[in-house]
Amino acid sequence: MKEHTMAAGEPILECRHLRKEFGGLVAVNDVSLRVERGRVHSIIGPNGAGKTTLMNLISGIYKPTRGEVFFKGQPITAVPLHRRAHMGIGRSFQITNIFPNLTVLENVRLAVQARSAANFNVLRRAYSYGDFITEAMRAIQEVGLTPVASMLASALPHGGKRKLELAILLAGAPELLILDEPTAGVASEQVREMIGNIGQIRGQADRTIIIVEHNMNLVMNVSDYITVMHLGSVLAEGTPSEIAANKAVQSAYLGELYSDVMDKAAGGDHA
Amino acid sequence: MHIQKGFQWRAVGKNWLLIAAFILLIVFPFLVGVLTNTDPTARRGLSVYWQGIMIELLIYGILTMSYNILFGFTGVISFGHALFFGLAGYLMGAFQRAPELADGGLLIGILVALVVCAGIGLLIGVATLRLKGVYFAIFTLAIAEMVYIFLSRYEYTGSEDGFTLAALPEWFDPTRSRLTFYYIAAAIFVFTFILIRRLMESPTGAVLLAIRENENRARTIGFNTLTYKLMAIVLAGILAGVAGILFTLLNKKVGPEMLGTAYTVNPLLMTIIGGAGTLLGPAVGAMGLRLLELQLRNVQIPLGDVVLDIGRILPIILGAIFILVVIVFPYGIVGTFTRWRLNQRARHAERLAKQAEALKSVS
Repeated sequence: MKEHTMAAGEPILECRHLRKEFGGLVAVNDVSLRVERGRVHSIIGPNGAGKTTLMNLISGIYKPTRGEVFFKGQPITAVPLHRRAHMGIGRSFQITNIFPNLTVLENVRLAVQARSAANFNVLRRAYSYGDFITEAMRAIQEVGLTPVASMLASALPHGGKRKLELAILLAGAPELLILDEPTAGVASEQVREMIGNIGQIRGQADRTIIIVEHNMNLVMNVSDYITVMHLGSVLAEGTPSEIAANKAVQSAYLGELYSDVMDKAAGGDHA
Repeated sequence: MHIQKGFQWRAVGKNWLLIAAFILLIVFPFLVGVLTNTDPTARRGLSVYWQGIMIELLIYGILTMSYNILFGFTGVISFGHALFFGLAGYLMGAFQRAPELADGGLLIGILVALVVCAGIGLLIGVATLRLKGVYFAIFTLAIAEMVYIFLSRYEYTGSEDGFTLAALPEWFDPTRSRLTFYYIAAAIFVFTFILIRRLMESPTGAVLLAIRENENRARTIGFNTLTYKLMAIVLAGILAGVAGILFTLLNKKVGPEMLGTAYTVNPLLMTIIGGAGTLLGPAVGAMGLRLLELQLRNVQIPLGDVVLDIGRILPIILGAIFILVVIVFPYGIVGTFTRWRLNQRARHAERLAKQAEALKSVS
């Protein structure tokens, strides 16, 4: 299922010496990161390691104090958030971040519309763009929300909202998907479903995925490459089996709780 | 997608309420004429009195609908809406009464007023829309109060008295040709409603709703939300300016009270009472509340020896009504009704599904 050979050529995303300070707090300290095209690259680490801040620097929510971000070889450090979405960087959030009083379909349809030229057309009705609806329904189907497409997003159960979050992301057709804790607050039996979703997503087109996760089961199952962060810096990098075998990482940051999963992953049969 | 040709009866069915309201708006002067047995085209009498009231209601409706674009649809709270309303009145008036411009002053004044409203909206927006929530609201309040103080002290604008307009052309004069003025106000009201409705059904309107619901998410999926918010404030400013111009023409005078907080707070309350973020709500809230106020203003109830003057305790009564409406209709009158109807439909669909299930198990 996975190849661990280093892909040749330019990485789709590169961060060079990123630093982000909030007042006196250094949230991200000299982080350099290369994300190869077509990979699932996980970022793990304990709470407060600076993972979400790093994602915010990559997607453009924050500007770095120092350092640079390159997307497909282009410097994008100064590119605003909404322009990065058009360039092909899509992002989902740790805290469910949807449009609550709009329908599921409208939530996703907006993401399709966002990358079109129709946004300023006040002479046509939004729902007269049949393509948008078709495309939105495809993304909704991908995450399995078709039966509730006409429901208000706020009426969905938590797991459904997480899936909607994913559908909004997919509808933007990004080349680079940033998933910030896709399983946050999701019941453990649904994590398997999420793993399936992510597997499906990566199976299509030319997509690169960055996942920030705490769920080691998911990380070890889907990742090609893992970066471990601690206190704002990169602690270790490597393939899942390398990271699992890294005793320092295991004992210091992942704890005994995950030792089963880690041992299994280190054994190599993590498919 | 199949395209329906010819007359669309379904569209009539869906919009029956609006069509009824539109017809009522057209026949209103003649209906009142028949009911009060007075001539709608005369210069005085009950007919003309009621036309005057209706014109005022329509103006409040336009002002409140414009406020709803920001507050109800885009989720931007402005405390300075009176700025557009009052400033447009002053500007139009200043040009209209300038002797050098003669009759052209009116048209120039209207154009200048609307352009300035758009420009000020743009300026305030660029300067402050990057600010979140309450900061924008406070800034708009500060600007409106600044202009209010300036105009109420400045001699050229008549200080706290304001000034009266020069004579208007007869066909346009709200006193001499009230019926004509009524239809002008009604046409602008209908135009405003249709404009906002088309906007909210368009892709641009969809983005405004997305901003109201979750601005950060809207930015993340690729919308430059500042541009859309600027559009909303400019449109709202222009429409509030239109209301201010009509109001000034109707009263044939301007005064600093048009820039006072009442013309910000009233549209806000009227929007909430009618239903923020609904198309019809603001008009219903504005016209209903204003009509109530006008009707109660002169009521006196004799209670034994004392006479209870409703006019003097009107704010208390309106306040009580406001509290009551907010409790009974948490989403405003129109908003709550719409939700209720949606729920009814959902329940109906559920029942049908259950029946179908039951039939299937039987056969």
